[in-house]
Amino acid sequence: MSDTLQMVSRRHRLPDTLVRVVSYSATRLVALFFTAVVGIFVTILVANMGGYVDEIKRAEIRETVTLQVFTDPKIMRLPAEARERRMREMIRIGEERLGLDRPFLSRSLFYLRDALVLRLGFAERMNSDSGSRLVRNIILERLPPTLLLFVSADLLLFFASMFMALSLARQYGSVLDRIVIALAPTSAAPAWFFGIFLILIFAAVLRWLPFGGMVDVPPPDRSVAYAASVLKHMVLPVGAIVFSTIFLAVYSWRTFFLIFSSEDYVEVARAKGLPTRVIERRYILRPTLPTIITGFALGLIGIWTGAVVLETVFNWPGLGQALFRAVGLYDIPVILGATIIYAYLLAITVFILDILYALVDPRVKLSREGRP
Amino acid sequence: MSAGNGFFSVEDLRLHFRTARGPVQAVDGVSFTLDRGRALVVVGESGCGKSSLARAILRLLPRNVHAYSGSVRLNGMDVMRLPEEQFRREIRWTRLALVPQGAMNSLNPVIRVGDQAAEPLLIHGRAGSPAAARQSVQEVFHEVGVPRDFLDRYPFELSGGMRQRVALATALVTKPDLIVLDEPTSALDVLTQAGIMNLLKTIKRETRTNFVLITHDIAAASEIADDAAVMYAGQLVETSRAEQFYREPLHPYSRALMASVPTLRAEKTLEFIPGRPPSLINPPPGCRFADRCPYRFDKCSEEPPMLKVDNRLVKCWLYR
Repeated sequence: MSDTLQMVSRRHRLPDTLVRVVSYSATRLVALFFTAVVGIFVTILVANMGGYVDEIKRAEIRETVTLQVFTDPKIMRLPAEARERRMREMIRIGEERLGLDRPFLSRSLFYLRDALVLRLGFAERMNSDSGSRLVRNIILERLPPTLLLFVSADLLLFFASMFMALSLARQYGSVLDRIVIALAPTSAAPAWFFGIFLILIFAAVLRWLPFGGMVDVPPPDRSVAYAASVLKHMVLPVGAIVFSTIFLAVYSWRTFFLIFSSEDYVEVARAKGLPTRVIERRYILRPTLPTIITGFALGLIGIWTGAVVLETVFNWPGLGQALFRAVGLYDIPVILGATIIYAYLLAITVFILDILYALVDPRVKLSREGRP
Repeated sequence: MSAGNGFFSVEDLRLHFRTARGPVQAVDGVSFTLDRGRALVVVGESGCGKSSLARAILRLLPRNVHAYSGSVRLNGMDVMRLPEEQFRREIRWTRLALVPQGAMNSLNPVIRVGDQAAEPLLIHGRAGSPAAARQSVQEVFHEVGVPRDFLDRYPFELSGGMRQRVALATALVTKPDLIVLDEPTSALDVLTQAGIMNLLKTIKRETRTNFVLITHDIAAASEIADDAAVMYAGQLVETSRAEQFYREPLHPYSRALMASVPTLRAEKTLEFIPGRPPSLINPPPGCRFADRCPYRFDKCSEEPPMLKVDNRLVKCWLYR
């Protein structure tokens, strides 16, 4: 008698299901795209203070031109009328160069189009690591390290907390259970806080692991050695993220599983004589899978927001660190670009969630022609 | 009830729960015997420990068990003595099955009902292959009046009555010796209730399966009852053949219970029992019904024994 039960029911009408999933996904994709568009447009409006930034720019141009005129002896020698005309001409050219001659609203639509296709323009003060001034390059070069760090931390956190939560739900009230509950408040402190201590212990005192960065300097040539070096550098930041969240996560999932293990159908499964492992998998995890997946995705988004400080503490060359520097330097295009990337990542996460819901929960109606 | 072979018997069964205010004596010294092929109806009002009795018989213990003792004998074997793993492999569902309370929540919402019904067959090695299991499930579905192709449906695609039939089919699929039915019809409308009751009658006649039917619906239960037991405050206060019980209940509580059941032809005023059942945390000494009993006398402050009246048992000093 194995733990794996075969299915006796038949899933007919597979092409039909496929059509429903695809059409459902397409609808969701369009809806989410519009959400992202609205979000980005609002960001543009806010970043431009609803058009007031134009006035500031106009004033800047007038000031620059006036200064130019008064420091240019050739223009100063012209008669007053011609000088006035010259000045107006120069202001017009300056405004035209920035597109200020057209109304803000129509320009904001062009900004929106540029933002959506990631034509993010040039940074004002920052360079990308490879020396490019394009905001897109700055962001795209920084994105993979951030994804690597946070997705692996979230995966580890997710599976570790699921596993521990199930085992604690099984031994409810035990010493281990009480220890985890007692440790849950440690999650009040953010990951970077634990990061500082981890660096102190494992890098400064014990000297087992590097202080920060993503790879040894100079980077190893062979790809295996390179990967090993990256892994070594990931241990502390991942450890900080996991440590800062795991006790609370285990505590809440354990409570969640306890609640769902008192459902009538779990009782029936026990009466049927199903082994504990089958009960946990088919009767506790399976019906709660949508909630679990949501928890995973929201966890990812949640940790994401902590990236700014954590990456700075660990000197991790990610998007968070870039954003931290951009804020310090008032580099508006980079800040905008990072916001847009976050909006896209959020929309993509929600989209994947929607699809997974439809796949794991038969109760989610895929479309109007779903079975009654 | 004691005259026959005593195929299934429960002796001095106790199930107490631990709570913040002290142990709750939900099942407190319950004993009865049931002969092969007979159906016992356990009646009582809400909160008297009926469902706990079902749990105690099936060893479905919650986490806060304070005490669990007594014996549950199935064909002479005391299954309560078995270790949990052996009980799971040899007794659960193959010999003791359950039709749970409330059809709505007793099926896993994300697994097709056919798969849920086939689980006991597959897990206990009663079907050679998934195809054979499918075949058996289809047969049982047909038997209880569920269309064969409903096997591929999810619970939310079925009506309440259909779900309860599926729950019943699931209990029957391994042909167990005894099925405990915990309020199997209480969430259903009267027509569906009648349908299920008729079905149970047919199944009992054809398969000689033993039933322990736990219900507060005395009238509906009369359809299939061979024996009757009345539960009050965690104890059985009367056990008897059903014909005798329905004709003339002995215990004052049973009488009050019967008087509260409406009947069509006889002119009668429906009665209710004043007062409330005692708390099962530290119940008062003596007869637990004494406070609400119209026949109360000084003897009632001592706990009455199960007294034999003809071939019936009643826990009341009036019959000494």
